[in-house]
Amino acid sequence: MTAASTTVPLLQARALSFHRQDEPVFAPLDFQLHAGELALVEGDNGSGKTTLLRMLAGLLHRGGGELLWRGEALQRDQCAGQILFLGHQLGLKADLSPRENLRIAAGLHGTREGLGMASVLADVGLRGYEDEPVRRLSAGQKKRAALARLVLLPATLWLLDEPYANLDRIGIALVNHLLEKHTAAGGAAMVTSHGTVSFHGGEPRRIRMHG
Amino acid sequence: MSNWIPLWLHRLSSPPTFYRFAGTLQPWAMTLALLLGAVALYGGLVLAPADYQQGDAYRIIFIHVPSAWMGMFIYAVMGVAGFIALVWRIKLAEVVAMQSAPIGAAFTFITLVTGSLWGKPMWGTWWTWDARLTSELVLLFLFLGVIGLYHAFEDRRQGARAAAFLAIVGVINVPIVHFSVNWWNTLHQGSTVNVFGKSTMSWDMLWPLLTMTLATKCYYAASLFRRVRTDLLDLEGGKDWVRQIAESEADR
Amino acid sequence: MAEHPGVATACAAMLRRDLTLAWRRRGDIAMPVLYALIVTMLFPFALGPEDTLLQRIAGGVILVTVLLAMLLALDAMFSSDIEDGSLEQLVLAPQPLALLLGMKILAHWITTALPLIVIAPLMAAMLHLPGAVIPVLLLALLLATPLLSLLGAVLVALTAGTRRSGMLLALMLLPLCVPAVIFAAGAVAAAQQGLPWLAPIAWLAASLALAVVLAPLACAAALRIALDA
Repeated sequence: MTAASTTVPLLQARALSFHRQDEPVFAPLDFQLHAGELALVEGDNGSGKTTLLRMLAGLLHRGGGELLWRGEALQRDQCAGQILFLGHQLGLKADLSPRENLRIAAGLHGTREGLGMASVLADVGLRGYEDEPVRRLSAGQKKRAALARLVLLPATLWLLDEPYANLDRIGIALVNHLLEKHTAAGGAAMVTSHGTVSFHGGEPRRIRMHG
Repeated sequence: MSNWIPLWLHRLSSPPTFYRFAGTLQPWAMTLALLLGAVALYGGLVLAPADYQQGDAYRIIFIHVPSAWMGMFIYAVMGVAGFIALVWRIKLAEVVAMQSAPIGAAFTFITLVTGSLWGKPMWGTWWTWDARLTSELVLLFLFLGVIGLYHAFEDRRQGARAAAFLAIVGVINVPIVHFSVNWWNTLHQGSTVNVFGKSTMSWDMLWPLLTMTLATKCYYAASLFRRVRTDLLDLEGGKDWVRQIAESEADR
Repeated sequence: MAEHPGVATACAAMLRRDLTLAWRRRGDIAMPVLYALIVTMLFPFALGPEDTLLQRIAGGVILVTVLLAMLLALDAMFSSDIEDGSLEQLVLAPQPLALLLGMKILAHWITTALPLIVIAPLMAAMLHLPGAVIPVLLLALLLATPLLSLLGAVLVALTAGTRRSGMLLALMLLPLCVPAVIFAAGAVAAAQQGLPWLAPIAWLAASLALAVVLAPLACAAALRIALDA
């Protein structure tokens, strides 16, 4: 499935804005994201990238402007479970193992068809660490455990805030690989990053943020 | 045709409009409060006859009862404003709710102090675990909880929303507390003397009481207007209308 | 579009998660219990070892001690979930947030209040409460402690976005828990005097029914406010 085959965008923003203490966090944004697309959210520190992703995830209240999900005004219960967010805090319980963490997430969201926890954990390079408490993993390994959650859960839109942080060269390649697989399967993703990202699945859409 | 009221309210809820509106009304409300208060005090302390049972000591009710009513009234205002703030995210409603809390706490505190001053000659003790007094104490704690929660947040608007939420939880809880305290009170000791049987009150005593009630309402309005104006200037500090006010003040 | 798991599966996963986490740190479970025992022990020292006096205050002391012990444990209900970002993940789950939080509250009650109820007979014995009253005390605790957990959860959720919340929590909880304390202590006192104690127990049960429905919803709304910063 490519972007051209679906005319209604998965996510569309019109003059989207957000205010904190009456100060606009970013200038009004217009963008659309189709299924199968990847969008890079670019901007300097403090330009509101994280705020944008948190607002799209529904963690922050909507500021000004319009937000459409599959052509209709975005509502919480309408897209429940279809949006995944990965922020600076990974949402892993330190006292539980990666496998147990995945099991909880799967209990709430369900799993993608044909995927098992063991294979997903092996895919992100955590073979042999499945039952180690997350507390004892390195920062990069924790990130990988959180990425495993993205892969396992059945969601359409990924909102990834700085997914490359704490990862080595192989880890960065892994993120890119996961993003390619996700978009190829009809998913979409929005990714924030300071650095330039080499993405092999065609040119990603770019959303430029101005503080 | 019939939608001019919501329209007018909508316009009033914009900070600069309310700032001017409150600025115009505030001196009038304060004057009215002082006048009515003076009349009520004269009526209550001089004109009204002494009570045949309690002598002159009963005269404290001209302060005590209106304050008690104001405590509850202000809590209700805070609850309603808080609800509006949470549902429609109107900044003015947040400010009104949060600036009402200290005034309400002050009235509740006055109620408690006058109640205990009055209790000394009546019941022979400063404090008794009377149902009404205890409910009033709980009300004071609710006010203090709202104020405390509001100031615990760094983002003031977020604090206002959280505190407004607490105020609404309190609205549900206050009747339950009152009922349970009543129940508990009858279990532990006989019901205390019921002094405020309104039907037994003569007109000579009633009119100063009602006048004082009006005076406290006006004082609340005046005080609230003043506080809200100050807070709006603070919250909207960077806006053009505040800058204009600051410049016109500087020119004078 | 993939089907999401049912409500029952999600609740089970949530409950299992919190109980597993509590079990991994089972030392923490003992803390409120020890606290309650120590506070109870202080009363005979402070008031003198007279049986009649201790008997008279036993019900009230146990209830207030349990309340304070629960207050100590309340603070931690959401703090770790907020710190590690788990709460954000819960908010994004396809199930209603109120339901998941209800499960969290249940798990919290099981790990903090249940141990306190288990040692309540021991506390009662330390204060010479007559054995015949102990079933009423346990019944009152079984109804009052979930009520406190539910109310406390709403308040903890409200303070979740603040820097330090310990004392503030106590200030906010006091007005809300007055009815629970009054009815629970009233039931014990009535049983001790040989009076009918069913009415306060029924009031407790009614309040609990109300709280079970409303508190998780309020808690979800409060947490959304706390996260929205």
